[in-house]
Amino acid sequence: MGSVKLEGQVQVEWRWLIAAYLFLAGVGGGAYLVGVIADLSGGPDWMAVSKIGVFLGLPCVLIGTLFLLADLGRPTNAWRVWMKPGTSWISRGTIIIVLFMIFAAIQTALWIWPFAGPLADNESARHLIGVLGAVFAFPTVVYTGLLLGYSQPIALWNTALLPVLFFVSAVSTGIMAIMLIGRSQGVEGTQLALLTVIDAVILVFEMFVLIVFLYNAYRTVESRFSAKRILAGAVAPAFWLGVIACGLAIPFFLELFGGEGIVASLAALLGLFGGLCLRYSVLAGGTLSPIMAGGYEFARVARPKDPMPAMGKLPPS
Amino acid sequence: MTRYGMVIDLKRCYGCYSCVMACKQANRTPPGVFWSRVLRGEMGVYPNSVRQALPVLCNQCAEPDCMKVCPTGATYQTDEGIVRVDKNKCIGCKYCMMACPYGARYSVPEYKSYFPEGLPVSDYEKHCMQVWEEKRGCGVATKCDFCIDRRAEGREPACNQACPAKARVFGDLDDPESEVSYLIKTKRGFVLRPEVGTEPKVYYLPPR
Amino acid sequence: MAATITSKVQEDVWIPTCCGQCYCMCGIRVHRQNGVVTEIEGNPEAPTGRGKICVKGLAGTHLLYDPYRVNYPLKRTNPQKGLGVDPKFVRITWEEALDTIVKKLEACKEKDSRGAYFQATTTAASEIRYAVTAFNKAFGTPNYWVSGGGLHCGNGAHFMNGIMHVSWSIIPDFAHCNLPLNFGCSKGHGAGHTAVQNAIQAADARARGARTITFDPMQSPQASKAHEWVPIRVGTDGALALGFVNVFLNELGVWDDEYLKYKTNAPYLIRPSDGRYMRDKATNKPQVWDLVDKCPRVHNDPLVTRVQYEDQAHDVALLGTYEVDGVKCRPAFELLKEHVKKYSPEYVEEVTWIPAATIRRLGKEIAECAEIGATVTIQTEQGPKKIPKRPIAAHFFRGSQGHVNSGWTCLSIDMINHILGAADTYGAAMGLGAEVTDGYKPTGKPYQIPYPDEDGLLVAKAWVYDHVPYPLRVPKQPTRLDLHDMFPTSIYNAFTITSPHWFEILDQFKINYRPDVMINFGSNSVMTMGNAEIVTENFLKKFNFIFSFQLYVSEFEEAVADIVLPDACYLERYTPAVSFPSTFSHPQGEDDWGWTIRQPAIEPMYERRDFNVVLMEICKRLGILPKYFKALNDMTVMRYGGPFSPENKLCEDGSVEHTWPDVVDRLLKDRFGPEHGLEYVRKKGVFTWPKRKEDVYWKWFNPSRVPVYFEYFIDAGEQISKLCEQYDPQKKYIDLNWSVFKALADWYPCPTHSKEKPEYDMNAFYWRPVTQTNSMTQQNPYLDEITSEDPNIYGIQMHQKTAEEKGIKDGDYVWLENTDGKRVKGWVSLSEGMEPHHVAIAAIGGHWGEYMPIAKGKGTFFNDLVMMDAAHTDPLTLGQDICVRVKIYKA
Ligand code: SF4
Ligand code: SF4
Ligand code: SF4
Repeated sequence: MGSVKLEGQVQVEWRWLIAAYLFLAGVGGGAYLVGVIADLSGGPDWMAVSKIGVFLGLPCVLIGTLFLLADLGRPTNAWRVWMKPGTSWISRGTIIIVLFMIFAAIQTALWIWPFAGPLADNESARHLIGVLGAVFAFPTVVYTGLLLGYSQPIALWNTALLPVLFFVSAVSTGIMAIMLIGRSQGVEGTQLALLTVIDAVILVFEMFVLIVFLYNAYRTVESRFSAKRILAGAVAPAFWLGVIACGLAIPFFLELFGGEGIVASLAALLGLFGGLCLRYSVLAGGTLSPIMAGGYEFARVARPKDPMPAMGKLPPS
Repeated sequence: MTRYGMVIDLKRCYGCYSCVMACKQANRTPPGVFWSRVLRGEMGVYPNSVRQALPVLCNQCAEPDCMKVCPTGATYQTDEGIVRVDKNKCIGCKYCMMACPYGARYSVPEYKSYFPEGLPVSDYEKHCMQVWEEKRGCGVATKCDFCIDRRAEGREPACNQACPAKARVFGDLDDPESEVSYLIKTKRGFVLRPEVGTEPKVYYLPPR
Repeated sequence: MAATITSKVQEDVWIPTCCGQCYCMCGIRVHRQNGVVTEIEGNPEAPTGRGKICVKGLAGTHLLYDPYRVNYPLKRTNPQKGLGVDPKFVRITWEEALDTIVKKLEACKEKDSRGAYFQATTTAASEIRYAVTAFNKAFGTPNYWVSGGGLHCGNGAHFMNGIMHVSWSIIPDFAHCNLPLNFGCSKGHGAGHTAVQNAIQAADARARGARTITFDPMQSPQASKAHEWVPIRVGTDGALALGFVNVFLNELGVWDDEYLKYKTNAPYLIRPSDGRYMRDKATNKPQVWDLVDKCPRVHNDPLVTRVQYEDQAHDVALLGTYEVDGVKCRPAFELLKEHVKKYSPEYVEEVTWIPAATIRRLGKEIAECAEIGATVTIQTEQGPKKIPKRPIAAHFFRGSQGHVNSGWTCLSIDMINHILGAADTYGAAMGLGAEVTDGYKPTGKPYQIPYPDEDGLLVAKAWVYDHVPYPLRVPKQPTRLDLHDMFPTSIYNAFTITSPHWFEILDQFKINYRPDVMINFGSNSVMTMGNAEIVTENFLKKFNFIFSFQLYVSEFEEAVADIVLPDACYLERYTPAVSFPSTFSHPQGEDDWGWTIRQPAIEPMYERRDFNVVLMEICKRLGILPKYFKALNDMTVMRYGGPFSPENKLCEDGSVEHTWPDVVDRLLKDRFGPEHGLEYVRKKGVFTWPKRKEDVYWKWFNPSRVPVYFEYFIDAGEQISKLCEQYDPQKKYIDLNWSVFKALADWYPCPTHSKEKPEYDMNAFYWRPVTQTNSMTQQNPYLDEITSEDPNIYGIQMHQKTAEEKGIKDGDYVWLENTDGKRVKGWVSLSEGMEPHHVAIAAIGGHWGEYMPIAKGKGTFFNDLVMMDAAHTDPLTLGQDICVRVKIYKA
């Protein structure tokens, strides 16, 4: 408004449920990717890591999908979701996810404990299925960003950086999930240490992507309000405490200096929570940018909430 | 072919909200749902600042993003170019609400009363809830359809009929003789967010 | 009872009736399906909107079905009264309620029937002026008021428009006006007396290319549609208007000679000794100077009068000195011209904060735009007639008139029109709802042609109140509890009845009875008058018994009502006519005449009963029903133009007990012929008949003049002050500046303009948004939801920079504190659209009542800052000052 900045209309439809979905798809896909890479490139030492990673893929993504289902207004119609892969990222996404889950399921069923199965020995078949799985795990992770990015009016999301950010976060949270479980499932110290270092590096990179992402958002007029909302507005607690503190800073320092036992598990746990908060912050930060017309900027203006009507008193009857 | 559109003359409009209320009433929409809505804007610095109202509604885009992102095909276009939601196909993923560049879509999980919870629901609200359930539904995406049902009864779109400033004109964009076509041509008609490429069919005439 | 709700009949009907969400009473159609009202829309048959209605009217269903509506009679069981007291209401039967009420009224009648006091809301204008007034006559009490009469009503505006235009309000002839000048009002942009029709017309005018200028401290809805918004300091509109008049008369030398000479008292010769008319010895009539024959002539001498524009007459003097009967006198115009010299643009700049250059520029533009000398030919019944075309119009309402200079401000603004000849003619400032009609042809009713009095000045044929604007009543020894009889230029006043010394005043003025029973109809005066505590403690708590016809338990009922009667709302009742046909809420412009009625769209639900019906029942039980019918008969003359013909007259001897619909039926038959009774009119909800062009542009068809020199004010002032002095020689109780009663317009500062206590550096004022009327509509959840869409309605509007300087951020909660230490809280909405020294508050917000939870806590209770003492009262009209100097700080 003149020099008064109009705040955009806040998107309220997609919140924690969708955040959980995006997050779990990320962790699952990320862990799976790490698992497959470990299988492909690591020696037998990496078998435990790779198994855990691959194993995590299916349940995470599956539970994530349940969150998506829970968010649907009409879950009974859910089967229709595949009707428009030509244009809809939800259609595409769900197809990708399902394909991913099929491969992950095959892997799990034929390889991973307790199904000591045929793939344990047949390395090339395992690698082949792993690669095929990864072919879908990657888009599973990335598509969550594309899904949001397709929303033209929410400028915060409408950027190529979002898939990158989600991908990096997915890998990092995937590693953390592997480490969390791996500690009790017999992953060796050397592998853990290496994973820790890799994750710390990824965390730095994630931090970098995040800064660029928010800087861009702030620089762009259409998304400035979103950036403000995240940095200093209603979403700030989730962002600073959840994403920055729990998700990035604390794990990073714990990984660098703490390293062992319960502390490391804690780092991983916090990191995972941070990943969830990241999805939430991005979602809740989404605002419809103001509409320009005739030289004016228009938007619904967010104002202090007037009290919700209380019950009050009914006239006696 | 008929291709329905609307022209809103911002010079005439004085931001009175009659269109908003008429739409709410005609379509029995629940709290928080504004298929027809009036946004507020202000421009310039005192004492040369000016305020302006911007009535918005679904633009019945020719290339609607909402339809593109809809995974189920629940959102479709009629022969007359009106974008509708088939409530039996909609899964309520709300993706269309994220994609519509105009914030024109609404979905409510339940039809809440306008009065505090726990009170007996009035006959009027019961009626509204019935109509809503029958025609739109909770949990699915809903939006303006240029009052298709009213027009079938021979009535104007509710917002048009109510507008005291006669700022709104409804008509066939394909008919070069129609008032809407005439206004758009002669009075510098423009659309909102042309850059997103959805080809809106609600046109505006400049405020001054 | 609620029988229709559950009925299984397949039903789908539209009932044409009239809206009751505000006093405009637009024609509506109500959709009823299976006994449930499901939709409301405008009635295309009604000329007041031709199918359009406002947001409030559209939201009416929620009023009908609101679960918080009072559905059964209630009795207060807590004897204690006051703000914040729990009334402990319990349900009682109608029988018990009526029984108690009638006993109280009987007792009151026994003591002194004048102890009964009727208070009513402005919203239900038709009910007030029909049933309320008749009841008062029948019962024998002169005491009534429309709550907010001080604060909310246009004491100044209505009275002055009555003098100048025989109308309740004025509005530009939007259809032809090229330059509407808006002085602090929302007419044509959401409020006013024919709000919707005016909105249509104003939009048409914009589309046509009319240029609009708005003077207002805020970017009001009107200002935002104007081509030029001129921010003005609150309460100084009168000075600005006189500044323009000065620019016209003394800088540009522009005025409408013909108009002033033949349609005003500008040429009347004035005696220098006492400012009175130089009257003709033989006839006692005022005189003008005939420039042709070089002699004085009485004002209505055919040689010096032009009724119609094309009439011929001798030229008369506006300037110069002439000797009559040995006295050197001058025309009133010359005195006016000299008088306004002091309103130089430079002085006006100091007062209004509008640059002198702007005043000169606009003055020039206005004068040019008036096209003085231009004419148009209109088709009248007597064939084509030439009339002046004056496409400019200055109009005003609440904002500019709610000050201690109220009366003169209104007259000053309207003076712009009269100097330029732009009154009640083509394109000019018009009485709102053309008020001249020779009636519906076959019956000649309602007949409302104004006429000149002996002095040649305009007299209304029909008027809303007993106190017609002209000729003035003679001030009389007071009998009313607000001393009203003493103040002929006022409609109501608040400063007497809300004074802490009310009863001492009554003693002093020899009024030997006291308030006893208050009958309240729909008003929430705790919130609508001024500071709630003062109103409650000084005024309302003085009544021994208060019963209230109400839709909700409002703050008023909570605080002071003993019995609450569940009233039917406008969708559940009959009323015989839209408010006051002719002066108010009647079709404006060239469209047809229309007479809208109200009929139930649904039977009253639960135990709600129509106020009109209950009032008659009370009359019956009191044994005054015949008197009530007689009063209705009498009143009809005054308000609805012409008495009943014998066959329609209501029975005055008690032999027939008319039902309320019968009353409605008779009035309609009487106005529109035997075949056009209730059964006929209810089919369309409105009776229409063609309007003649000369009804609309009546100025040059009527033999009357209007004053630009208010000679008779001098007398009135002397009479009033003498009377006051007689009772209150020390001016202990009534200390008003009677010197404002004079012949020429002036501007007087408000308390707000004082330089004392500089820390109170902001001026707060009130404005009316389109989404709300008075205080009741705030409980409507549709309207509440829509209202919160505009941050400037529930918020306190403030300029950004000012806020920055004070460390206040957008959305912060703040206190506004007036110089008396009263304070109210709200959140600020910052914008560039505010004069930096002002804060604006919309509607009557800040409800606290437990029984109106939707309204509770929304907006800010501006009225709490309003003081109702003499210092805040306009001596001329007793209108209330509603601008407040405040300091603002964070809450
Ligand atoms: S305005 Fe929005 S909801 Fe309407 S058609 Fe366009 S994209 Fe779809
Ligand atoms: S009803 Fe007409 S004038 Fe009022 S806000 Fe809507 S478009 Fe504008
Ligand atoms: S202007 Fe008044 S009477 Fe007319 S529709 Fe609106 S609330 Fe009703």
